[in-house]
Amino acid sequence: MRRVGQAMERPAFPILLVLLHCMSDESKKTTRALAGLTAGFLALAVVFYVSSRPPTAAKTPFPGITAPKPTTIRISAAQLVKSGGDASGLECYTCHDEKKPPELKYDAAHRLVFPKEHADLIISMRNCESCHGTDQPVKLEYAADGAVIMPKAHQDLLVMAHGRNNRNDNCFNCHNPAKLNELVTREGLHLKFDQATALCASCHGPTFRDWEAGVHGRTSGYWDRSKGPITREECASCHDPHAPAFPQLIPLPGPRPMHPVAPATLPPPSAH
Amino acid sequence: MTTSPPDGAAPPSEPRSMSRRSFLRGSTVMAAGVAAMAAGLAPLRKLSDYGSVDEFLQMHYSELKPEQMKVILERMEREVQRQYGVRPHVRDFKPMNGVEFVYALNLTRCTGCRKCVHACVAENNQSRDPGLEYIRVLKMPNGTFDMEKGDHNYAPESVPEPGFFYMPVQCHQCKNPPCVKVCPVKATWQEPDGITVIDYNWCIGCRYCEAACPYFARRFNFTEPSIPSEKLNPNMSYLGNRPRHKGVMEKCHFCIQRTRAGRYPACLEVCPTGARKFGNILDPDSEVSYILKHKRVFVLKEEVGTLPRFFYYFDV
Repeated sequence: MRRVGQAMERPAFPILLVLLHCMSDESKKTTRALAGLTAGFLALAVVFYVSSRPPTAAKTPFPGITAPKPTTIRISAAQLVKSGGDASGLECYTCHDEKKPPELKYDAAHRLVFPKEHADLIISMRNCESCHGTDQPVKLEYAADGAVIMPKAHQDLLVMAHGRNNRNDNCFNCHNPAKLNELVTREGLHLKFDQATALCASCHGPTFRDWEAGVHGRTSGYWDRSKGPITREECASCHDPHAPAFPQLIPLPGPRPMHPVAPATLPPPSAH
Repeated sequence: MTTSPPDGAAPPSEPRSMSRRSFLRGSTVMAAGVAAMAAGLAPLRKLSDYGSVDEFLQMHYSELKPEQMKVILERMEREVQRQYGVRPHVRDFKPMNGVEFVYALNLTRCTGCRKCVHACVAENNQSRDPGLEYIRVLKMPNGTFDMEKGDHNYAPESVPEPGFFYMPVQCHQCKNPPCVKVCPVKATWQEPDGITVIDYNWCIGCRYCEAACPYFARRFNFTEPSIPSEKLNPNMSYLGNRPRHKGVMEKCHFCIQRTRAGRYPACLEVCPTGARKFGNILDPDSEVSYILKHKRVFVLKEEVGTLPRFFYYFDV
């Protein structure tokens, strides 16, 4: 019990000293010093608070890495040119009613049917060459306004196919229903269209971790960063956000030996 | 020295005069002989196809001094220009200190589209017909790693096909390479950065290395390679993609002309799914270091003890 009493006394002692000082002649000096110290600590607190706030801009995982296509924005080419690559100023509300979010339609398999009005928007900015390559040149057909006409092979893009268990086929899992030119994560973080990678990362964590390490996704450039930069793609450069599964590809021709093997002697493809 | 016939001896035989008959006979035989000899030497007229005397007398790569190499590279540039009409830039890239190359291939991502195969052919100036492709993409049925069950002639309408996975196989740049051990003339060896290379001028074409390789990674030029001039890649290296001759061995060299200049190999850059990863395993921050640390990797035919620098892995 005695020890507790001592402990109680000790903190009170300096405070008494300070009070005595304030009443003495030196009080003005002391007050000034105390005020100065308080102001200093307050300033430090403000500095710490400001510097510890999360940066507003999306963090670049690797400095020196350039992503040539910041995002594959799904607006028509003509609109994209007009906006200078920035879709944040896109006026959705010329067609949509600002007060009520658009209604969603589903097909028989409960998959979301993509609105026909947006079909050309999807296809306009698809990076066709990322799949087709230079060996299989793609001949695109354009509509009068510069939008790409969707080829028949890609008609299935009109159906939303994000989420294998039909969990995720809702526009407003990613789009902000209250502000259509904005994206929103499950945590309520509002993002511009060119910050879409951060949106993907909010659900696909392990894949994003691999992508940050340069292990998921296509790369080109220099493995030796001292010689030059590595160029990487963002999520939407290879994956269509509305149907992200990687599409089927046409295989290039097989080996061409000196003495061609007669097809009959080849092992049947489904022999196993 | 002439001797006069002694007196009383038999009259000297008549000096051998050239009769018309003997002249014709002699000249016919002679002409026939010359013609036969010319016919016998006729293949020598094509000698220029077999390369110059300098090429014939050229030393092994490891014995070449820098000034000799300079002369050789210039000669090669001239020869390529004469043959293909394209002036190439042939260089001799040296391995970098503190670099050991490793390749990692994600079998989950590979769809078997064969874009890597054709990018490799284009980058490395391989013969188009017959095709010498360094990369073989095997269509493997689910449930086995027996390469015998793989099919490299698949040609469906689209890939991937359900029930199969696709496994590209190329030179594994082994740390314990059987191909190097069996070469009787040391025309193939392992460089300090892990790439097993071939001196195409030193190879005698015995194909022992092809037989020794457990991965079917080596290709032999049974014919003179055919490369269209307009498809020739002019960025060449001595140990890499300079045009080869008939009768020599070649194989994947991790695009030595690109990777020793700090760039990624051609097969990696063209892969649409990003299944291929490459880098310096001695750099702890490289992509391959990340993969070897965090992914469940394996090597092909581990039991043969070749210690490949080519790793496969599945993820997701």
